Amino acid sequence: MRVTQGCFSFLPDLTDEQISRQVQYCLHNGWAVNIEFTDDPHPRNNFWEMWGLPMFDLRDAAGVLMELTECRKVYGDRYIRLSAFDSSHGWESVRLSFIVNRPKEEPGFRLERHEVSGRNIRYTTKSYAVDRPEGLRYGDK
Amino acid sequence: MNQHSITVRGKDRYKSGVMEYKKMGYWEPDYVPKDTDIIALFRVTPQEGVDPIEASAAVAGESSTATWTVVWTDRLTAAEKYRAKCYRVDPVPNSPGQYFAYIAYDLDLFENGSIANLSASIIGNVFGFKPLKALRLEDMRLPVAYVKTFQGPATGIVVERERMDKFGRPLLGATVKPKLGLSGRNYGRVVYEALKGGLDFTKDDENINSQPFMHWRERFLYCMEAVNKAQAASGEIKGTYLNVTAGTMEDMYERAEFAKELGSVIIMIDLVIGYTAIQSMAKWARRNDMILHLHRAGHSTYTRQRSHGVSFRVIAKWMRLAGVDHIHAGTVVGKLEGDPATTRGYYDICREDFNRMQLEHGVFFDQNWASLNKLMPVASGGIHAGQMHQLLDHLGEDVILQFGGGTIGHPMGIQAGATANRVALEAMILARNEGRDYLHEGPEILAKAAATCTPLKAALEVWKDVTFNYESTDMPDYVPTASVSM
Amino acid sequence: MNSQVSAPAATRDVSQTLPTEQVDLRREFNEVGIGEVLDQLDRELIGLKPVKTRIREIASLLLIERIRKRMNLTSDVPTLHMSFTGNPGTGKTTVALRIASILHKLGFVRRGQVVSVTRDELVGQYIGHTAPKTKEILKKAMGGVLFIDEAYYLHRPDNERDYGQEAIEILLQVMESQREDLVVILAGYGDRMDKFFASNPGFRSRIAHHIDFPDYSDDELLAIAEIMLRDMNYKFSSDAREAFVRYISLRKTQPLFSNARSIRNALDRMRLRQANRLVADLDRVLTADDVMSLEASDVLASRVFMKTISE
Repeated sequence: MRVTQGCFSFLPDLTDEQISRQVQYCLHNGWAVNIEFTDDPHPRNNFWEMWGLPMFDLRDAAGVLMELTECRKVYGDRYIRLSAFDSSHGWESVRLSFIVNRPKEEPGFRLERHEVSGRNIRYTTKSYAVDRPEGLRYGDK
Repeated sequence: MNQHSITVRGKDRYKSGVMEYKKMGYWEPDYVPKDTDIIALFRVTPQEGVDPIEASAAVAGESSTATWTVVWTDRLTAAEKYRAKCYRVDPVPNSPGQYFAYIAYDLDLFENGSIANLSASIIGNVFGFKPLKALRLEDMRLPVAYVKTFQGPATGIVVERERMDKFGRPLLGATVKPKLGLSGRNYGRVVYEALKGGLDFTKDDENINSQPFMHWRERFLYCMEAVNKAQAASGEIKGTYLNVTAGTMEDMYERAEFAKELGSVIIMIDLVIGYTAIQSMAKWARRNDMILHLHRAGHSTYTRQRSHGVSFRVIAKWMRLAGVDHIHAGTVVGKLEGDPATTRGYYDICREDFNRMQLEHGVFFDQNWASLNKLMPVASGGIHAGQMHQLLDHLGEDVILQFGGGTIGHPMGIQAGATANRVALEAMILARNEGRDYLHEGPEILAKAAATCTPLKAALEVWKDVTFNYESTDMPDYVPTASVSM
Repeated sequence: MNSQVSAPAATRDVSQTLPTEQVDLRREFNEVGIGEVLDQLDRELIGLKPVKTRIREIASLLLIERIRKRMNLTSDVPTLHMSFTGNPGTGKTTVALRIASILHKLGFVRRGQVVSVTRDELVGQYIGHTAPKTKEILKKAMGGVLFIDEAYYLHRPDNERDYGQEAIEILLQVMESQREDLVVILAGYGDRMDKFFASNPGFRSRIAHHIDFPDYSDDELLAIAEIMLRDMNYKFSSDAREAFVRYISLRKTQPLFSNARSIRNALDRMRLRQANRLVADLDRVLTADDVMSLEASDVLASRVFMKTISE
């Protein structure tokens, strides 16, 4: 399956050129760009691991792409996303976030149903990936 | 137009008998509104032969302390403080017989945090007044002192995005169609298909409450099954606006609690439940971490005609104070009323922390929202994927685009309809961020995205000639080129 | 973005039809606006004739390169890294800023900012500290120009716990593979830069333009002093001027002479003396001329003259 989190997941995977342009848009708006990765793609997993610190004060996307290339070398087997943070009043939150790298195979999620009183059901989304321990979740191992 | 005060003062003011409003203290052209005053702008159409100043003073009087004859009991009060003061009357450009009347009300006239009180005060009495042919509440300036007494949107745009984990693009929704008649299970099917295909939300229609063809509990149960299935299938957070509107507050609370129990992220209410009920539900939503969607059902009965009623921008301001998180605010290019400039005014009122006066958008006052949460506008009604570039240009990024017919009516099915909308939107946002002139290259951008997305191609084909071009019934009075006396 | 090294342009058979596009050179020159920057350089810096000539030459080369690119005659990314050698205070930093502007206007550099660093900003104090530090600087400089002053301090072969080598590796890598993202200018004293290049030959091969910044002549230094004074609304009396000419020739022979910077420092000290001279007589009524003028005594009080006397 294909996890469709982030802003551009319904389009074909972005090329580095396209990623660069999005990053430049963020820098132009004065937002700090951040690279994060995870192997647990649960929709409520808000806090992915950070690759370095958010990058403030950059003028050109090449700097971010440099870091992304490094990150891919180490964590290219899992999900990586770019997010842009706006610190201005009234926002102080993320303004753009999109996935830039995916594992080769995305097993997806199973829906667990837990019947309770009446016709009520409690639902839990569980990602197949986390059945395996960290570090062994994607790939052939 | 704006001469000097002719207020009768001293003992003569309280001699029994009838006195003109403009002499009773309701017309004070030298009055400078205080920062803490609430100001209302009325569009006054006096009857033939009625002096506009007198008519405006009458509006001020009848919406504050006056009655049709002098009363001695006024002297038991600090009467001057409680009188509303009309301090300015301007003729409306290009509309003979209509006047803009600016009226200031002391803060003490109003109860903290109560829209019911605010509306009862301002519009409760004066609209039926015989000397007026027509009257419209055009805009209001709410002082920070008053704004701070309200909860404001329970969630707000920023936190909503954080909860949904969706940033950088409008959110997508669809109202389940047909409007009426589906059973709970079939209803859930529509929700599942639309969400699975790529929408973020689906929506109950305003008149789906609990009817013989579908009891509300059935709907909630099947909808949540659909939402959770779609969430697991896509890995994204999904939601459906469960309509909890009912005949009594007790029923509404019961329905809302059930929605919460089932794990919904969002519920919805209709405007017709009334201002007090809306504020109660906003409070409940805040306490229960629920996003609150408001359908503006019934508003067009009084917001649509320029000469008489209440402008929607006033309703939007009241609703932001009351505390809803979503409000339908117009699409510009869809099937319902709303010209671009006026709609822009509504959207700014919902989304900005400080509205600057902009007459071309119908925003008559600087309005400071004092960091009150931002209200997400919803564009719904007759829009489709082929208009994505126009929608983005008119409405911006912080909006919910609802394509009911545009999703469910897709020739290849509901999922395809949803996918078409989502792909069109993402492609347009990608292009916009790259700096392209997406408004003019829109059709090109859509065509290119359609090359790798058959559902989008089909959607563009089916609806390519659909537009709704009718004369607008409510447009701004000021255009940028007119010189304005300010 | 993905290729490490840009492939060489395919050689063309000249007998094939060349592109027929014609370019109006003057219009092109005016459009990119480098004329203003070059004029600004002429105005701002006194003397430095060889440097200014060199900059004009480079600007012409890049202008033609830009036109060739437009005509599809080349797809190479030209090497733009430079080294500036010369004594301190000879205008190296100023010229770096103007070069960045020219590169930006001609489209060889995307954003045009100049990030100016010395070894300390690039090199860490412990293992693992250097690479992130260097990378931070590089990221901020991407799209513009990285100006490394006293670049030879990166290399400290005598200290085995020195981490400068790591920074050098990273710089060499970026200078080679990301030429379209960043231009590097290394600067410092001439002889030390030569030694540095000798022990790190990788740099020399990556640098396209070496520019030497000669010391200012005595006349140029005087002219610089006059301009500085004028900008501050001061002036020399004629005696003071004569004294200052002698000051310059003496000062140049002494150690740690930093050209324009030393002139500025000297003028500051003279202003201090002038102020004290005036304040010594509190009953005096001052005119504008009085507070603007530097007198000979303000100049001659310098230690520079004392040394000669004692010799």
